[in-house]
Amino acid sequence: MTAPVVETDGGLYAARQKIYPREIAGRFQSMRTIAVWVLLGIYYLLPWFRWSGRQAVLFDLPARKFHIFALTLWPQDFYFLTWLLVIASLSLFFFTALAGRLFCGYACPQTVWSETYLWMERLVEGSRSQQMKLAKAPWTAGKVLRKTAKQFLWIGFGLWTGFTFVGYFTPISELAGKVLHFSTGPWETFWVLFYGGATYVNAGFMREQVCKYMCPYARFQSAMFDKDTLIIMYDDTRGEPRGARKKGSDRQAKGLGDCVDCTVCVQVCPTGIDIRQGLQYECIACAACIDACDEVMDKVNYPRGLVRYDTQNGLEGKPRHVIRPRTIVYATLLLALSAGLVYTITHRNVVGVDVLRDRNALYRERPDGSIENVYNVKILNKDSDAHEFRITGTGLPGLIVDYVGPTVWVGPGEVQGVPVRIRVAEDSLEGGADIEVAIQATDRPELRAGGKARFIAPSD
Amino acid sequence: MFRARSTDEYPARLRWPRLGQDVAIVIWPSFLVASVATMICFAFIDPVLIGNDDYPPPAFASRMTGYAVGFFFFWLVASLSSLLTLYLVRTAHPEPTDTDATTTEDQVRRPQ
Repeated sequence: MTAPVVETDGGLYAARQKIYPREIAGRFQSMRTIAVWVLLGIYYLLPWFRWSGRQAVLFDLPARKFHIFALTLWPQDFYFLTWLLVIASLSLFFFTALAGRLFCGYACPQTVWSETYLWMERLVEGSRSQQMKLAKAPWTAGKVLRKTAKQFLWIGFGLWTGFTFVGYFTPISELAGKVLHFSTGPWETFWVLFYGGATYVNAGFMREQVCKYMCPYARFQSAMFDKDTLIIMYDDTRGEPRGARKKGSDRQAKGLGDCVDCTVCVQVCPTGIDIRQGLQYECIACAACIDACDEVMDKVNYPRGLVRYDTQNGLEGKPRHVIRPRTIVYATLLLALSAGLVYTITHRNVVGVDVLRDRNALYRERPDGSIENVYNVKILNKDSDAHEFRITGTGLPGLIVDYVGPTVWVGPGEVQGVPVRIRVAEDSLEGGADIEVAIQATDRPELRAGGKARFIAPSD
Repeated sequence: MFRARSTDEYPARLRWPRLGQDVAIVIWPSFLVASVATMICFAFIDPVLIGNDDYPPPAFASRMTGYAVGFFFFWLVASLSSLLTLYLVRTAHPEPTDTDATTTEDQVRRPQ
């Protein structure tokens, strides 16, 4: 017999049926709670950290610069982000091969925020049975009060989440001031409400349905599974045949297995499945059923682990392998890519140059007979220190570079445009030529970059 | 051990109503795709420089407006694509099941 785990609820969609997971304590639930506090702690506090006079982590979209502690990334550094995404997906594959859906159970934002919304619901509406009773109860003043209080907490937490999200893109202390004076800009207001609303709907109402109907990872994660992947399993050879029994009665005499069929594992499941039917793709590996079953096994004095983390091989009594070709390949790729990323970031060229021709004139003939072209040289300094740059040119004999010099100062993380005149004696030219303009920092000669440009001359 | 199930196999109590499912299937993947498309697009294009070459005023008053308009444009386009895909999947003839498969070709295509 399966206990009724759901109640109809007039929620977001007409026929939506709500799951009331029963609260449970235990080893894995403590780990999940720690994960929630650590991850949400990072999310909500990180934008408040400062780093040398600015917000430590700020994705400054209006200025097109990403600040991550000492690092400043520019649109040209976009490939780092792609690289990082590749590393993230490889880690997901690696951990899935090792221990199944660890990400889903402990780290996925959907799980983490759903968990906090469940806590708020429990704080106001009480335990699972109290919540189910309240849902059936008529709309008394007390029920209205509880439901209002829950919505107040949910909406408030959602708005804080949206505010924090926007705080990663616009300086959060300024944003906080604007919020207090109700003077946020139209886009800031919009995105706070958009992300706050998304959090509220996803964590408050949709919950496990996001995993079941909307998550692509849930559908393909089994491709990374093999017989040595650690997953949550019910030991059916030990548990079956299941059945209720009196405490202290001899289960062998009654021909029963270790499962007392208390259905607590079903009641605690946030996705409403029965783990005893085998691994199902709705399972987000939260391990609530392990904690629940261990508690019951302790009560009836049976050994723990009827529902446990184990591998297919382990369950069949065969040897378990953590190190195997699949994990070795994933781990090697992951290490190589991560090392490569760190090396590239620490060794990237932090200066750049863009050479643009002046649009107004092709060339100018000077009284002394030389030909002059005018360029706008943009010096890009991505370093965290200011530098003085010298501009040089090559590609034509006797080429003279003339600019407001002798050096150009460019502040940290800034672009400086410099008008540059380049002169060449006419007899060394025929038509035009490709030249190269180079910049070099005076204090650190290794900081240099070059850009190509076309030098135009009369073709006579 | 692991069996992928079609949504119609869910116990009735866990099934989402079709409309809700359809809305989610259309707007969620397109949201993800639009986010990626927005990042790639604006890593290369600065929105305040669009349409600003010779005929002022620029297409977007500020970068934030440009990013937002770009994002919603991508979301809309991706949603239309998701919607068409969903429509074609939903209105397709059901595929023959394993028990219907009579030709060897069908059996070859569907390894167990």
